[in-house]
Amino acid sequence: MAEPRSCEPRFSPPPHQPNVPAPGAAATGAAPAAATPGAPATPALPQAGPDEVALLIDDRPVVVRRGATVLQAAEKAGILVPHYCYHPGMSIAGNCRMCLVEIEKMPKLQIGCATAATPGMVVRTNNDRVKGVRAGIQEFLLINHPLDCPICDQAGECRLQAYEKDYGRGESRFVEEKVRFPKRYDIGRSVLFDAERCIKCTRCVRFCDEVSRSHELALFSRGDHAIIGTFPGRPLDNPYSGCTVDVCPVGALTWKPFRFKARVWFLKNVPSVCAGCARGCNVNLAVFRNRIHRMAPRPNLDVNAYWMCDAGRQSYDSLYSRPRFERPVVRAVPAAPRAGESAAAARPLRESPDPRAEPASLRDRALDLAAGLLREAARKGGPRALAAIVSARLSVEDLYLAKRVLGDLAGVARLAVPPHEEGEDDHLLIRRDRTPNARGAELLGFGAPSAARVREILDDVAAGRVRGLVVLGEDLLAIPGVAPAMVERLEALIVIDWWRSPTVDIAHVALPACGYGEFEGTVVNCQGRVQRLRPALRPPGEADPAWRILRDLGRRFDLTNEYAAPRAVFDEVAAKVPAFAGLNFSALGDLGAPVPGAPAGGAAGAPAVEA
Amino acid sequence: MAFEPLLTRNVGRPGSEAIDAYLASGGYQGLKRVLREFTPEKFVEEVKSSGLRGRGGAGFSTGMKWGFLPKGREKPRYLCVNADESEPGTFKDRLLIEKDPHLVLEGIIASAYAIECNLAFFYIRGEFHQGHRIFQKAVAEAHARGYLGRNILGSGFGLDIIMYRGAGAYICGEETALLESLEGKRGYPRIKPPFPALVGLYGCPTIINNVETLANVTLIAERGAAWYAAIGRPPKNTGPKLFCLSGHVKRPGVYEAPLGVPFLELLNEQAGGMAHPSRPLKAAVPGGSSMKILPASKCDVLLDFDSLAAAGTSLGSAGGIVMDTGTCIVGALLNLARFYAHESCGQCTPCREGTGWLVQILVRLERGDGRMEDVGLLADIAGRIEGNTVCPFGEAIAWPVDSYVKEFREEFEEHARRKACPLRAAAGR
Repeated sequence: MAEPRSCEPRFSPPPHQPNVPAPGAAATGAAPAAATPGAPATPALPQAGPDEVALLIDDRPVVVRRGATVLQAAEKAGILVPHYCYHPGMSIAGNCRMCLVEIEKMPKLQIGCATAATPGMVVRTNNDRVKGVRAGIQEFLLINHPLDCPICDQAGECRLQAYEKDYGRGESRFVEEKVRFPKRYDIGRSVLFDAERCIKCTRCVRFCDEVSRSHELALFSRGDHAIIGTFPGRPLDNPYSGCTVDVCPVGALTWKPFRFKARVWFLKNVPSVCAGCARGCNVNLAVFRNRIHRMAPRPNLDVNAYWMCDAGRQSYDSLYSRPRFERPVVRAVPAAPRAGESAAAARPLRESPDPRAEPASLRDRALDLAAGLLREAARKGGPRALAAIVSARLSVEDLYLAKRVLGDLAGVARLAVPPHEEGEDDHLLIRRDRTPNARGAELLGFGAPSAARVREILDDVAAGRVRGLVVLGEDLLAIPGVAPAMVERLEALIVIDWWRSPTVDIAHVALPACGYGEFEGTVVNCQGRVQRLRPALRPPGEADPAWRILRDLGRRFDLTNEYAAPRAVFDEVAAKVPAFAGLNFSALGDLGAPVPGAPAGGAAGAPAVEA
Repeated sequence: MAFEPLLTRNVGRPGSEAIDAYLASGGYQGLKRVLREFTPEKFVEEVKSSGLRGRGGAGFSTGMKWGFLPKGREKPRYLCVNADESEPGTFKDRLLIEKDPHLVLEGIIASAYAIECNLAFFYIRGEFHQGHRIFQKAVAEAHARGYLGRNILGSGFGLDIIMYRGAGAYICGEETALLESLEGKRGYPRIKPPFPALVGLYGCPTIINNVETLANVTLIAERGAAWYAAIGRPPKNTGPKLFCLSGHVKRPGVYEAPLGVPFLELLNEQAGGMAHPSRPLKAAVPGGSSMKILPASKCDVLLDFDSLAAAGTSLGSAGGIVMDTGTCIVGALLNLARFYAHESCGQCTPCREGTGWLVQILVRLERGDGRMEDVGLLADIAGRIEGNTVCPFGEAIAWPVDSYVKEFREEFEEHARRKACPLRAAAGR
C-alpha cells in the first residue's frame, strides 16, 4: 500500500525564517490607548526598571533591556522589522538597509539593527516613508538578481521572495542588462555558490570570521561587481560550513546534499536533537514522504545557539546507507559467519509466506526465545553468566528499561557502556564523545563509558564465564579486538539494533529497533541538559523503539508496568532516579531542561555561546 | 580687496617644500607659540573660537570635533590626517602636500598637542607618489630638527607620524572607511554611531582632519584665533580657503581667497573667465563633483558654507567644476555617474545597486535609446539612494543626479524625445 498522505501538515517555523509574529499580531504589552477623534492619544510609556528602556514602536509600548536595538525591541513588541544582514548570532553589518525605520527627532531613517533603543524613543516601522524605502531596497536587490526562483532550492524560504510579497512593489522598472556572475560555483566541500543570487549581506563572511573562525570567505571587487569569494587554494571547508547555507537569506549558498532534493514547502520540520555527539544540537528534521532530506540547526541559546556541525548535519545519512532488517531474526546455533555463508544465512523467523499474517506472534516468539535463552544461560552459569553491552546512543527511556529489565529482572549482572570518542572537543560545538546520551547513561547508573569494563566482559565471554550476552545498539564485532570466534561460545547472544550490523548476523535472536528519527525519547547532553528526540519517520517493518522491545522482553521476566509511551518511562525516571528529580516530560518542551542532578561541569559542559 | 595669500604663501617659491625654506619664512613659530603659551585644552578653545570649519567637505567645526573626545585616558588617542583627496575636480590638498608640506605638518603637530595624541597617521592617496615622497621627506626633516619625536622643542610633548598610502579607492577618503583601510581591512565605511572620536582607529578615540584644515590650524597657531576669525565672512565662515577651478575655464587651478568670495569674481577675475569666449557659462558645481549643480542663472553666489547651503548646494571640498554651453548635461552626469558606480564600495544595497542602474539609464539616454520615463526614474532612483546608505557616498551620487535632472530637465527630456544627444546631433557626431 502506498504510504498514506498526511492531510495535516505539522506547522513549525521554517528554519530560515525568524519566528516572529506577523505584522499586525496583537502586542504583548498594553494595547494602544483608545484614540480620541481628531487627537490621537499617545500611549503612555510603561515603567522601566533600572537596566531597562521603555519606548514606543508603532504606538505599542515596549520595555527592553538597556543596550537592546530597535529591531530587537520591535521583535519583542511583536513587530517584524524586515532584515537580511542582521543575524542575532553574529556582529552587526548594517549593510542591507532593509530595516530602516523612522525615529522621531532623527531626520534620516535609521537602521533598526544598529540603533540602540533609548528611553522615550518613538519609532515608526510601517509608515509610508518607511514602506517606500523598503520597496526601494527590494527593487535594488532584485535588479541584478536572476529571478530563477523555479529552480532555486531556497524558493519557499527565501527572504527576497517573502519580503517582495510583503514589502515590494511587485514589479521592476529595470530594463537594463543584469550584472553577470559565476553560477554553480564550487566554493567548498559541501557548498555551492550562485553569485548572481547573492545580495552581499556578508552573513556567510561574518560566520566564517566570527563563529567557525576559519576565515575562508571575503568580499572581492567593488560596487555592483562585488562578489563573495575564497582565497586561492583555500576553499570553504570548515567543520561548520553548512551554517553558511543556513544563514544565507537567499539561494546564493546551497547545501550540495540537499540540492534539488525537495521543494521546501513540502518538507515537514520536526524539532529534534542531533545524535552525532554529546553536544545534542537542536535541529529540525525536514521530512518528505517518510524520508529525511535535510537536518538544519534549530536555535537554542543554551546548547548550540544557531549552529551545528557538518558531520551532524549529514548524520542521518547512515539511515539510508546502512542495511536495515525489518523483522526479528533468530538463529538455531550461535555461529560466526563462515566462508561462503553470507548474512542471508540468518533466517528470519517466519512461518507464513505472507509477512503480515501474524506479525505479533513472530515478534512474541523471538522475545520468548530470547528470554528462554537468557534464563537457560543463567541457570547453567550462575549469576555472573549474563552481561550486557549497552550503547550511549540509546535514549534515557531505552537505558532505563535496559537497567530495569535486564539488570533487575533478568539478572544480568554487568551492564557496560562502550565509549565512542573521536578527535578532540573544538572551540564551538563538536565534542570528542560521539554519543548523544553518555551523560544520561551515567546518571542512570551505568557509569561513564568504559572500554575497560567492556573489555572485562569480553574477556569473560572468551573464557566462557559469560554465557549470555545482550547487546543493545552496539555492533559488537566493531569493538576493537572482538573477533567472531570470541563469541562463538556464547549460548545466548541477544541483539537489539536499528541496522543489520555484522553482530546481528551472528546473534541467536536479533530484534529490529527504530533508527534515528523514528522514535521518541530523551537524551542528556554533555552539559547535563535533557532534550527530546521526536519521531519524524515511520519505522520500517517491525522495527520498534528499543524501550518497547525491552518492555516486552521484560514481560517475560514478570515486568508488570505498562509503559505505554516514552512519556510514562521518563516520568518514572523522574520519580525514581534522584538525578532526574522534578523533571516532567511535557515540560521539556522544544528546548529541553537541565537535569537537576547533573551540574554542568568543565569546559565540555559550558554553553556553546556566551550571552 | 587685496588678499595676502596665507595657505599658499610659500607656493611658487623654489624649494618651498624644504624645511629650511619653511623656517626662513617664519615656519614652526606658531608651533613654538602653542607649546609655550597654551595648554592643550586652551588650544582647543582657541581653535573653537577661530570658527575654523573642516575643509574636507562637511564643514563641521574643528574645535567642536576635538571636543568630542572622551575625557578619560584609558586608551591612546590618534590623529588621522585625511590626505586621500580623490574627489573629481578637487586638487587643493595635493598642492599643500607637494608645495608646503611643513605648513601641514606644523598644523598636525599643533593639533596633536591640542588633542593630546602621540601618534598621528598620514593617510595619503595612493596615486600621490610625489606627494608621498615629499611629505615623507618633510617628516624626516622635522624629526631631525626636533619638531617630531619624543620631546618636541623641550616641551615634553612627543609625536610620531606614520605614513600610510591608500590603494586607489575613492571611498577611503570617507573617514571611517579610511580607518578600516588603515587597520588593513577592506575600505568599508562604518556605521555611525559610534563616532570616531569615541571609537575610531583600533577602537581608540580618533580625530580625522583634512589636510587643508590642519594647514589652517598652523595659521591659528601663528597669529591667534581673533586674527583668524576676522578673515572671510564672520562669524560662521571664517578663514582663508583654497578653491579649485577646472573645466571650461581659462586658467584652471587652485586659488586662495577668503571664505565668502563671490564665485563669479573667482571665475572671471582670478581664473580669467571662460575658456572659449564664444561659449558662456552654462552651469557650475562650485563645491565639487558630489555637490549639487547650479545653472548659470544661479551662479552669482558667495563661496562659503552657509551661502552655498542657502543657494541649494554646498561648499563641499571646493572643487569647482565649470561647464560652458558646449556641455551636454546628460553626458556630464553620465561621466560623473560612471565614476561613482566604479567607486561605490559595494557594501550597502542602495548605493551598490543604484549607481550601476543610474549609469545604464544615462548610457541609454546619451546613446539615443532613452525613454521619457527614464528622466523621472533617474530622480526617483537618486531619491531612494539618498539618506539610506551607510555613508555620505549615497548623497554624493544622489545630489548630482537629483540636481542635474531638476535644473536641466528639459535637456534630459530632449534626449529621450529626439532619441539622440542634441549636442552631438548638432555637431554631426
